Amino acid sequence: MRDPIDRTARGAVIAVALLAALAVCSVSGQAPAEQGQRIQTMVIDPGHGGMETGAKGKFGNLEKDITLAISLKLKAIVERNVGFEVVLTRDKDVDVSVENRSAIANNRKAGLFISIHANGAVQKKVAGSETFFLSLNATDEETRRLAYLENNSSALQSRIDPSSDDDLMMILWDMAQTAYIKQSSQLAELVQEELDALLGTKNRGIKQAPFKILAGVACPAILVEAAFISNPEEEQKLASEDFQMKVAEAIYRGLARYLRMPF
Amino acid sequence: MANNNKAKKLKPALVLGALSVILLVLVIIFFAGGGREKVERFIEANVPKTPAVAGEPAATKTVTLFFLDDDDDLLHRETRQVAAGPTAAEEAERAIAELIKGSEKGLLSPLPPQTKVRQVFIGKGGVATIDFSRDIVEKFSYGSTMELGAVYAVVNTLAFNFKAVKKVVILVEGAEKETLGGHVDLTRAFLPDYSLVAR
Repeated sequence: MRDPIDRTARGAVIAVALLAALAVCSVSGQAPAEQGQRIQTMVIDPGHGGMETGAKGKFGNLEKDITLAISLKLKAIVERNVGFEVVLTRDKDVDVSVENRSAIANNRKAGLFISIHANGAVQKKVAGSETFFLSLNATDEETRRLAYLENNSSALQSRIDPSSDDDLMMILWDMAQTAYIKQSSQLAELVQEELDALLGTKNRGIKQAPFKILAGVACPAILVEAAFISNPEEEQKLASEDFQMKVAEAIYRGLARYLRMPF
Repeated sequence: MANNNKAKKLKPALVLGALSVILLVLVIIFFAGGGREKVERFIEANVPKTPAVAGEPAATKTVTLFFLDDDDDLLHRETRQVAAGPTAAEEAERAIAELIKGSEKGLLSPLPPQTKVRQVFIGKGGVATIDFSRDIVEKFSYGSTMELGAVYAVVNTLAFNFKAVKKVVILVEGAEKETLGGHVDLTRAFLPDYSLVAR
C-alpha cells in the first residue's frame, strides 16, 4: 500500500527538480551578455566558392568573390578588436559543401556564426540589404518538438557529440539551429540596424528563411545579404573596397552590440 | 400511458432540435473563422463543374500560378486553364509547366525557361514530390531572393491548387539535392508560404 504512494512522491520530486533545472538552463541560454563571455571562437562563412559561383552581376562580378573579400575584412576587424579566435570556412576560391561549413562551426565549438552573401533577384530593380535567420518551416507536431529544444538551448550543445556519426546525432545536428532561434534573431536585428546606418542602401529588414547553411549550426547564426549583385548600381558598390569595408564594419558593430561590448 | 407516449414523441423532436442548433453553430463558426477561401477551394475541389459546352464534360481546370513582378519581389497570382485529369498529379505537372512557360501578362517566371517537370507524385500523407530536370540548377545563377522565389512559386502553386498537397519535396534529376544554388534547404519538405504573395 505504501509503495505506490512512495513512488508517486519520488516521481513528483524528480519532476520538480527537472523543471527547475530546465528553467535555469533556459534563463542562462537567453542572455546574450553571458553568451558573449563564453564565446572563444567565431566562424565567418564566405558564401559559395570554387565551381559554385553564386549570383552573377551584369559587369561580371561573382557573388563568391565579393563574399570572400568582405569576410577577410571582417575577420581582420574582429581580430583587431576582440579576443576570440576567428575561423573562416574558406580563405580562398574553393568549393566547400554546405554540410562541411556547419561542421567546421560545430567542431570548433563556435559561439557565433555569420554567413556573408551578396543577393540576386530576377528583377534588376530589386535592391537593398537584409539579414536572415533560420525559419523552421515546420508542421504543428514539429513545432512542439522544436519548442522544447528552444527552451533548452544551453543543454543542447553539451548533449551533441560532434564526433558521433550515429543517425540520431545526425538528426539532432540537422535541427541544431532550432535551439538558438531567439539569439539569432537578436543578432540579426542588431547587425541589420548597423547595415542600415552605415551603407546607405535600402533597408529590407530582418527576415526568416529555410537556408541550409543556418540549419545545422549549433550557435547563434545569421546570413547577411550585403546588397544585390543583380542590381547594376549595387553591383558596382559591392565590387568596391570602400563598400566592402563598410559592410564588414557594420557587421562588426552589430555583433559588438550583441556581445554588449564597446566599439 | 399517455404520458409515456408524449415523452417518446418529444425525445426525437428534442434530439433533432439540438442537432440543428449544433449544425447551425458549426456552420457559423466555419464561415466566421475566415474560411471563405477554404470554402471556395472545397467547393471547387468537390462540386462538379458545369460543362463549358452543353453536353460535353469540362476538359479544363483553372489553376493559379505565382510569378514575379518587376516592381517588387513578391509573388503575383495569374490564373490559367490546364487540361483536366485524369489525376491531380498530372494536372500538377501541367500547372508547373505553365509556370515555367511564363506569364501571359508580362510578369516574370521565377524558374529557368529550359526547365522540364520530369514527374509529380502525390503521396497519401499529403506530400507532393516534384522532380525537375537539371536545368533548374544549371540555367540560373541564384541569389537568395531568386532561390526563395523559385522554390515558393513551385510550392505555393502546388499547395494552392491541389487540396491533396500539404507539403512539397523538390528533387533534381530524380535525386535529393542540398540546394538549387547554395541557399534554400531542399532536404526537408516545404509548407506553402503565402506571406510572399502580393495582396
